[in-house]
Amino acid sequence: MSDHLDRREFVKIVTAALGTIMGAIVGLPAIGYLISPALRVQKNEDWISVGPLEKYPVGKPTLFSFTRSKVNGWEKTVNSYGVYVVRTSETEYTIFSNMCTHLSCRVNWKDEAQEYICPCHDGHFGQDGSVTAGPPPKPLIRYEETKIEDGNLMFFFKES
Amino acid sequence: MAERVFTWLDERLGLTAIYNTVLDRKVPKVNWWYTLGSASLFLFVIQAVTGMFLTVYYVPSPDHAYDSVQYIMNGVAFGWLIRGIHHWGASLMVLFVFIHMLRTFFFGAYKYPREVTWLTGVFLLLTTLGMGFTGYLLPWNQRAYWATTVGTEIPGTAPFIGSFIERILRGGTDLSAVTLARFFAVHIWFLPAIILLLIAVHMYLVIRLGISNIPKEGE
Amino acid sequence: MNEEQKKELIEKYKAEKAKGVKFWPDIIYKDLLVSFALFILLVGLAIFVGVANEPPADPSDSSYIPRPEWYFLFLFELLKYFPGQIEWIGTTVLPTIAVLALLLLPFYDRSPFRHWRKRRLGVTIMSVVVVGMVALTIMAVATTPPAAEEEVVAATLPEQILLGEELYGVHCVECHGAEGEGGEITGVEGLEGVVLDPINARDVMYTFTDETLFNIIDYGQPDLGMPPFGLGYGGELRRGDIIAVVNFMRYTWDDRAELPQEVAQASAVPALAEGEVPSYEVHIQPMIKRYCVSCHRPGKKNNNYLMRDYNEIMTTGDHAPNVVAGDLGSNTIRMLHREEIEAGGPMPPTKALKPELILIWEKWIAGGAPNTAAEAAGLTLPAEFLPVEATPTAAP
Repeated sequence: MSDHLDRREFVKIVTAALGTIMGAIVGLPAIGYLISPALRVQKNEDWISVGPLEKYPVGKPTLFSFTRSKVNGWEKTVNSYGVYVVRTSETEYTIFSNMCTHLSCRVNWKDEAQEYICPCHDGHFGQDGSVTAGPPPKPLIRYEETKIEDGNLMFFFKES
Repeated sequence: MAERVFTWLDERLGLTAIYNTVLDRKVPKVNWWYTLGSASLFLFVIQAVTGMFLTVYYVPSPDHAYDSVQYIMNGVAFGWLIRGIHHWGASLMVLFVFIHMLRTFFFGAYKYPREVTWLTGVFLLLTTLGMGFTGYLLPWNQRAYWATTVGTEIPGTAPFIGSFIERILRGGTDLSAVTLARFFAVHIWFLPAIILLLIAVHMYLVIRLGISNIPKEGE
Repeated sequence: MNEEQKKELIEKYKAEKAKGVKFWPDIIYKDLLVSFALFILLVGLAIFVGVANEPPADPSDSSYIPRPEWYFLFLFELLKYFPGQIEWIGTTVLPTIAVLALLLLPFYDRSPFRHWRKRRLGVTIMSVVVVGMVALTIMAVATTPPAAEEEVVAATLPEQILLGEELYGVHCVECHGAEGEGGEITGVEGLEGVVLDPINARDVMYTFTDETLFNIIDYGQPDLGMPPFGLGYGGELRRGDIIAVVNFMRYTWDDRAELPQEVAQASAVPALAEGEVPSYEVHIQPMIKRYCVSCHRPGKKNNNYLMRDYNEIMTTGDHAPNVVAGDLGSNTIRMLHREEIEAGGPMPPTKALKPELILIWEKWIAGGAPNTAAEAAGLTLPAEFLPVEATPTAAP
């Protein structure tokens, strides 16, 4: 009797052990399989030319749009981006992303209000990018790295 | 505590009864050939699990099927392992189901009272072959495309209704996006549903009737 | 089987059961061991054999020899023996009979005997069928014609871009230039003097989708003089090849897309160390692939000078040898310096090679024109190249 019980215990242990091994060999890679696209962070950064500085009127933020292409899985996607180029004087300028810092809607410059207004949740930003009203937590993103090359204004674009 | 939870559940689900009828039953002494059925079932489970994982990335369209399979193989962690197991599992499953059928035949286990078990078994063999045939097209590579072109041509040679059957299989006159879509649907919904149902009946009968004993001389 | 026999059978089975074992743990234990062994086998096959990499489906490539999965091979082989008129017997009648015979087995085999000695006929038939199936499968495998040519399958994007670059070098450079810059075509039969717009410009890259590019390469633009390259229209490129060329163009010329790092490294001509002698395989071959082989291959106007491998470069041509180890007056060097000589005009015809690339050619020839990197390692550059200084004066 005790002999039989021992055998039963033994089979139980073997079953559990082999089951765990098989579960682990399939299960652990399966987790990696499911989450691996999430772990791949694509670098999306480059110098972008916005054209000659003279093109932009002093004191009035002007939208410049450009596109970047990315590979997601097996598909190429061309995404569109926008920046506001603001000339504060003949030689000084600032470049803002037009993406609202709240939930990534695109802000628009309104001349009459002298503000960037986000159409989604009514966020307001001043000409210097600071939040003046509404829910946005941070001022507009500013591209600090800029240069002028061959008469064209360029900035270093970096997707966060 | 664990015991109380068990008693509570047992009272409602009848776990002990299940244990007694399914696990704690007497069966004749048999040899290793009798493990083929459970091996086939095991392979089916493996195929089902890896197959579900493959559908996470696979896209059944001529534009994307090949690229999505390449992505599984090269772009995703362990995709090659999941597809490798599914690929080889298919071959082994056909092999094991077939040998299981041979074992049943040579041991005369299809006879009274197990005729219905045999019947469901033959249908399981046919559906397994159907899974192999439909699954072969899905990677949408040269091998898949041309083998399926020939494969769907075969029933097309039948007299009178042949070309009609061929058009049904292909969803038109040519091997196309429609063919891929319907092979995919059959491969992941229709055939698995049928197989599950057949396995349920098959197993119920195996438990109800018990596994056949090894025939002795003169039996 | 009559009621009495049934009763007897059930009694016997009960006795067997009484002598038998418990399903759990005895039977389960065996099942578990077999399943586990199977599992290890499967994982082993997946890891060590894997799944063959196949080219994408290409309805235009009718040269492909279709093979079914191995478990259908016997049927495939069987059909060879049913010619024309009676083919339907092999394709439908036999399989139908086989399936029906299996399904109805318990209904026509009604003898109560289960041991094989009392079922000799059935057991024999089944054995013959199984042996036949195995034999047919073996015959099918044995008679499989060897794959005509192992096709290159570029699986990942970097691999595709590199393959595309190579194919572009062979098929496109003679007209569109090594960088897609276009210009006046020289030395191409029938298109002499035609001026092509660049294809590496934004106008092209931003407005032509991958599909458009694919179609242009596939069908060509016959009215404009571009021949078709796709297999389906009489060209040489398979579907996967054209996709590779499109990817090469997209990732090299489209400034919205970033060239994967491994490609940039693999396709560049490696820089030379101080005093290093370049070799054909490391330095010269990438240049030839990009700038020369498009014309210097069979069937092109090239004075029979072929440049597909080391031997051809050293020996072929109407004015052979065009490359003489140690001689900076070799035809090739003079033509790279855009001299008009008996062997031909400036090379490449449309646009001079960059000076730093010409310098590599000169160092290669001056250093002894070695084939492999191992050979190059044993050689030294002649004095005029040490220290690296002005180019020698082959040009007047």
